[in-house]
Amino acid sequence: MDKLVDNDHQMRNTISNRNFLLLGYSIPSFLIFLMVISWPNGATAEVSFDKEVRPILTANCLQCHGPDAKTRKADLRLDLENTTKSALDEILERIYSSDPDHLMPPPESGKNLSSDEKIIIKSWIESGAKWEKHWSMKPLVRPSLPVLPESFTAWVKNPIDQFIAAKLDQHSLKPSPQTGNRAIIRRLSFDLNGLPPTPQEVDDFVGASKIDRKKARIELIERLLSSPHYGERWGRHWLDVVKYADTCGYDKDKLRPNAWPYRDYVINSFNQDKPYARFVQEQIAGDVLYPNTSDGILGLGFIAAGPWDFIGHVEVPESKIDGQVARHIDRDEMVSNTMNTFTSTTVQCARCHDHKFDRIEQDHYYSLQAIFSAVDRADRIYETDPDVESKRSKIDKEIQELSVKAQSLQAQIDEAGGKQLKKLKDNISSLESQITTGTKKPEFGYHSQISNSQNETKWVEVDLGKPMEIRRIVLRPAHDDYNGIGAGFGFPVRFQVTSSMGPSEASRPVLADFSKLDYPNPGLTPVDIETNIRVRIIRISALKLAERADDYIFALAELQVFDNAGKNVALKGKVYSKDSIEAPARWQKRNLVDGIFPQSKNQEAQTKLAELRSQHQSLLASIGAPEKLAEIDSINSSLKQFKSELTKLPRGKLVYAAATDFKQQGQFKPTMGKPRTIHVLNRGNILNPQHEVGPGVFPVFDGEPVSFNLDQFKSESARRAALAEWITRKDHPLTWRSIVNRIWLWHFGKGIVETPNDFGRMGQPPSHPELLDWLACEFRDSGGSFKHLHRLILTSATYNQSSRIDPSKAQVDSGNRYLWRMNRRRLEAEELRDSILSVSGALDKSLGGPGFYLFALEKTDHSPHYEYYKFDPSDSKSHRRSVYRFIVRSQPDPFMTTLDCADSSQSTPKREETLTALQALSLLNNKFTLHMSKRFAQRLKNSAFGMRDQIKMGFKLVTGRLPHPTELGSLTDYGTKHGMPNLCRVLFNLSEFTYLD
Amino acid sequence: MKRETRAPIQNVSIPEMSSRRDFLWRSGGGLGGIALASLLGTEKLLGGGILKDGLHHKPKAKRVIQMFMGGAASHLDTFDFKPALIKHHGEESDFGEHVEAFQNGLGPWMKSPFEFKPYGQSGKHLSEVVAPLGDVVDDLAFIHNLIGKTGVHSQATYLQATGFQDPGFPGAGSWVSYALGSENQNLPTFVVLPDHRGYASNGPKNWGSAFLPTNTQGTTIFPQRSNPIPDLYPQDNFVTQKSHREAINLINKLNASYSRQRPADDRLEARIKSYELAARLQLSATEALDISTEPDYIKKMYGLSQLNKSYPSQINIPEEVEYFGRKCLIARRLIERGVRFVQIWSGNDNSFPRRNWDSHEDIERDHGPLSMGMAVGAAALIKDLKQRGLLEDTIIHWTTEFGRMPSTQGSKGRDHNPYVFTNWLAGGGFKGGQIAGHSDQWGYKPLDRENPTQVYDVHATILHLLGINHQRLTIRHNGIDRRLTDVHGHVIDRII
Repeated sequence: MDKLVDNDHQMRNTISNRNFLLLGYSIPSFLIFLMVISWPNGATAEVSFDKEVRPILTANCLQCHGPDAKTRKADLRLDLENTTKSALDEILERIYSSDPDHLMPPPESGKNLSSDEKIIIKSWIESGAKWEKHWSMKPLVRPSLPVLPESFTAWVKNPIDQFIAAKLDQHSLKPSPQTGNRAIIRRLSFDLNGLPPTPQEVDDFVGASKIDRKKARIELIERLLSSPHYGERWGRHWLDVVKYADTCGYDKDKLRPNAWPYRDYVINSFNQDKPYARFVQEQIAGDVLYPNTSDGILGLGFIAAGPWDFIGHVEVPESKIDGQVARHIDRDEMVSNTMNTFTSTTVQCARCHDHKFDRIEQDHYYSLQAIFSAVDRADRIYETDPDVESKRSKIDKEIQELSVKAQSLQAQIDEAGGKQLKKLKDNISSLESQITTGTKKPEFGYHSQISNSQNETKWVEVDLGKPMEIRRIVLRPAHDDYNGIGAGFGFPVRFQVTSSMGPSEASRPVLADFSKLDYPNPGLTPVDIETNIRVRIIRISALKLAERADDYIFALAELQVFDNAGKNVALKGKVYSKDSIEAPARWQKRNLVDGIFPQSKNQEAQTKLAELRSQHQSLLASIGAPEKLAEIDSINSSLKQFKSELTKLPRGKLVYAAATDFKQQGQFKPTMGKPRTIHVLNRGNILNPQHEVGPGVFPVFDGEPVSFNLDQFKSESARRAALAEWITRKDHPLTWRSIVNRIWLWHFGKGIVETPNDFGRMGQPPSHPELLDWLACEFRDSGGSFKHLHRLILTSATYNQSSRIDPSKAQVDSGNRYLWRMNRRRLEAEELRDSILSVSGALDKSLGGPGFYLFALEKTDHSPHYEYYKFDPSDSKSHRRSVYRFIVRSQPDPFMTTLDCADSSQSTPKREETLTALQALSLLNNKFTLHMSKRFAQRLKNSAFGMRDQIKMGFKLVTGRLPHPTELGSLTDYGTKHGMPNLCRVLFNLSEFTYLD
Repeated sequence: MKRETRAPIQNVSIPEMSSRRDFLWRSGGGLGGIALASLLGTEKLLGGGILKDGLHHKPKAKRVIQMFMGGAASHLDTFDFKPALIKHHGEESDFGEHVEAFQNGLGPWMKSPFEFKPYGQSGKHLSEVVAPLGDVVDDLAFIHNLIGKTGVHSQATYLQATGFQDPGFPGAGSWVSYALGSENQNLPTFVVLPDHRGYASNGPKNWGSAFLPTNTQGTTIFPQRSNPIPDLYPQDNFVTQKSHREAINLINKLNASYSRQRPADDRLEARIKSYELAARLQLSATEALDISTEPDYIKKMYGLSQLNKSYPSQINIPEEVEYFGRKCLIARRLIERGVRFVQIWSGNDNSFPRRNWDSHEDIERDHGPLSMGMAVGAAALIKDLKQRGLLEDTIIHWTTEFGRMPSTQGSKGRDHNPYVFTNWLAGGGFKGGQIAGHSDQWGYKPLDRENPTQVYDVHATILHLLGINHQRLTIRHNGIDRRLTDVHGHVIDRII
């Protein structure tokens, strides 16, 4: 019994839940196969390596005898065609061995071969152990069309049907009848536009079909394909795969206000029927391959689409281990997203060890990381406005002229100052470099709010609690490496020290006045003010602020006030200020009197420096420089203003995309295109780097090198361009198969390959390998036109079948792997929400633009709160199509999530279709459905007279047909009793509304 | 729905789902595809676990309550007593190696601002701010040598919550739900009680189902909201109790006719069942969350004697006690009713003023109230479960993101310490009074640096006690057989 449970468990777990259905047919076909090879006449039947042998080797042998060199035992590889005759003989002997120490696979591995599997291995070895390439790596060749028995010829409409019919025939299945006109217009409308057909459209189509069925269908398909809603529906499929969202995810989950242009780019690309190769290339290296085009930049939103750790990048520098881990994980996401999406290859398995099953070594994986090693995720400009640009060049010119003027004034001063001035300046700068702080405590001091104007007055004061006799006031400058400023950070250029006897005292005697001349930055030298006065409050007023980056501040590490006994009476006193940034532990008001301030290690240099600075001031005065300096000052202030105007000019339209040049944000700095060095990491551990690798790919083409020539691919952009070109090669066996499988899956709900992101050995084999190859060639040779492929699929007899389940056919193929019918499906979350909006008459069909909120957004300064429960469903801004909603990665919309929308934390190549009680609750009780029930009722009231007609119209909007008399009876009874809003709520919950035949 | 008529609907017929499911499950291997599909449909609907009828070994525990301290709770100020820090308090810290702190500025060694003293038979030292746990300390098994991977909140939270440090993986509760399903079809399998102020790092992604079936995801309950479970009740005046009840009947009638015209599609039948189940869920959830029926001595035990009073704006003990205690009491009510996994969170995001355990500035200010709130609720829960005979098959797991440094940051705070931290476990087969691993004299790294404990080991042990071999609970996703413990994990024998 144990054993049985065990096997059962393995079966259940090695096949994902969705694929579980497959068991129904695959067991019988497997049995049929076994009968063939154990045919009593003794002849060994031909065994298919690809279909029969490889799965056994993959499941039982490759863990120890596969591509992973580290875990490989006995130097034996069973994933490549180089196994020697003697090794094969030994395999044969050992799989049949009765000695547990000799038996393969070893009993402790928990794996064992059934006797049937042993027979397969035996027949394979005895018939010469012929190897085949794994199906997805075989060169792409257009297969010839299968010859069909006559009974199928009437059914077949195009080559797709020929391949499908051949498989059906092989399994003694017959296709289902073509479905009715009402079903087909609903099917096509949702499939291509994601919206229900209007009753008028249904009637028109049904009418036209009666005249010319074929023509009506073709016209319908063309209308839907040329609608802008086509891109909205199909773009959403793509966004599922690439993990698109409008926030970063991880901690804080910050907003990405400029992610949406990539979403619109995807939608537009589908609408334009952009050739697939170009679509791929733009998303990996559009900036290189299509320079000076908006799409070339917008496409790069792909690389940035996935999650990003704000803290790991902005708050932790790359020099720290945590910073490196964050960036390593980030690159891993870029590499996996690219290779999973475009080549259906699970390269990320090789991050910690060589891939266990596919030919991807750690070196290959890290060489892919080397391709993305210079890019980060940030906002970048994709389009500029000519008016703004002409303004910009005007300001640039002003700045240029003013700078020249200031330089010439400075030159005049320098000339007047001669050698003496030069020497002083040199000495000062050399001393400055000698001054460093000792161990710096984290409590930096007081820091005002940031100002855009240097001449704003800021003040900070200490209240001694009661008037006291004081003798000395000492200002201790602060130190912060921000913007490379260091010592004297935030120390005011002009300031006054004033005092008062109490908070309500109007009189403020000035104790020290530095408001007339610029005070040279004191570095860490304390500013000592002797006095003799009885006061309670000492205030420092900064009248001209210190420059920081492009802004101005006032900061001070410590304010000391000494009494007659030499005691610092300000220590732990009460501090007040005009404003303060209050960012503990570093900056807060109370740090001004905490006794902690930076001190120079080199006291001697510090004193000398102060002396030189004062000499410098007097020399300048003696040569009459102050007037010139004042002029320079005024020029500088104009310059500031121009520069600030410049930064306020819109930099063009922004998209959140892969970038190498962007505004530094905390510790997050642009690489400026310089690739980071990439090492192979032992077990994926950043602390265990091995040898360095350059850019490259994994082996796909026999005999071709996998590494890029480093001389040629030094620049990061060339690396990405080379990858884009490699992926879109016409002879790439993975790229074209991968995309046509996705298109097929999005039409039928099931792929020809059931694992769309994994075409490797652990993935599922194709159900129709020849059809897959034919579609891949047809798609590629049509120039990569999605619409061409849609037309082929949508006009096939296969697609137009009824979805009705015929029990006798289900006996043979319950999972409909061979497409003897169309798959009935539930509407996806977006389709359902959009349909509710559409039938209620509330849908705003406008295209593109920033995402709308389905939540109340709060506390955006730190960790934004996305409060869905506070959302107001009557907000008409939210009545747009769901593809335009603002997608929050960490806090996904509960309503949409319950309806199985894609999780933007992971690639979703295929939507789940689950059925839960929470779904029922959502469709019954969510405030959106409740509000729309009222809207729907209002619409019906406005368009039809009398409840029966209103119900009829509502029913037709929701299902595409009129209700039967019994249905109408029940609905009218209910509506009469409880009113139309309640009735509309019922309509939203009909299976006929949520399912598509 | 109008207030006075909010009590949901009772008169839906409840078919014998479990017996039908049992039948299908037992005979699953022998039936054809349609039966399998039908099995799958009902299984998914009801949240039945894939191991429900075939655990890997005999279990000791049936359910789990996990307490997660967002922002990283300090082991040094709660459960991991360090006399050396008292002795060397204020001396320049010397870690014997370069230490990379999350923020810069490690100061001198810092003793805990709280007093420690021994409790129970085991004489285990606890801090005064977790003193209420002293009564049950002999039921707790401590792990003091856990290590993390980074000191970044989000990655660390993911690691402890899902076993992976990047997004896209199912929460531990989802895995347990996937394996075991629910004991009560009328309640969710996995319930999450977030901090009432909001979510910790990563938000609901910490309990998402990722590549597991959606019904294994954590259902969040905010007991203080008018709709504690999203969409549990229709909140609009046009829906009355009667119109709601009759709506479900009418929906099911029309959907049954739709289903009849489309035979053999099991989903359509299951959808009808889902509406019946929804009606029952409304009833059960309301009842489970209603603590007003609890006797006074129980409310008092959980610190809930004075409900709904207003609190000062500063972080304070009574408020923390009330909110954490309420979640603990609701957790008990949920597991009594068959919920498989309850996760209780303490701590909002990392913003200011601090309302979580990320005490960079002041341990005493934040850890004081948060610890006391947690300890009152946790101690009450353990005692309450014990007196009901539920502790023996209910695992309680206390965890956090990582620990905090033994030296100061600022003058009163502590920086992140991913190099060592503490977990404790109780009930469900865990041996109380045991310590599975120690930290070094400072509480900086594990005492035995070569043999630390990791989250994989804790998860492996919890699964083990639930009757699950962590290496065999897998699902294939994108070419990899995924499991909660990745490729790691050893059962910690010492404490079970």
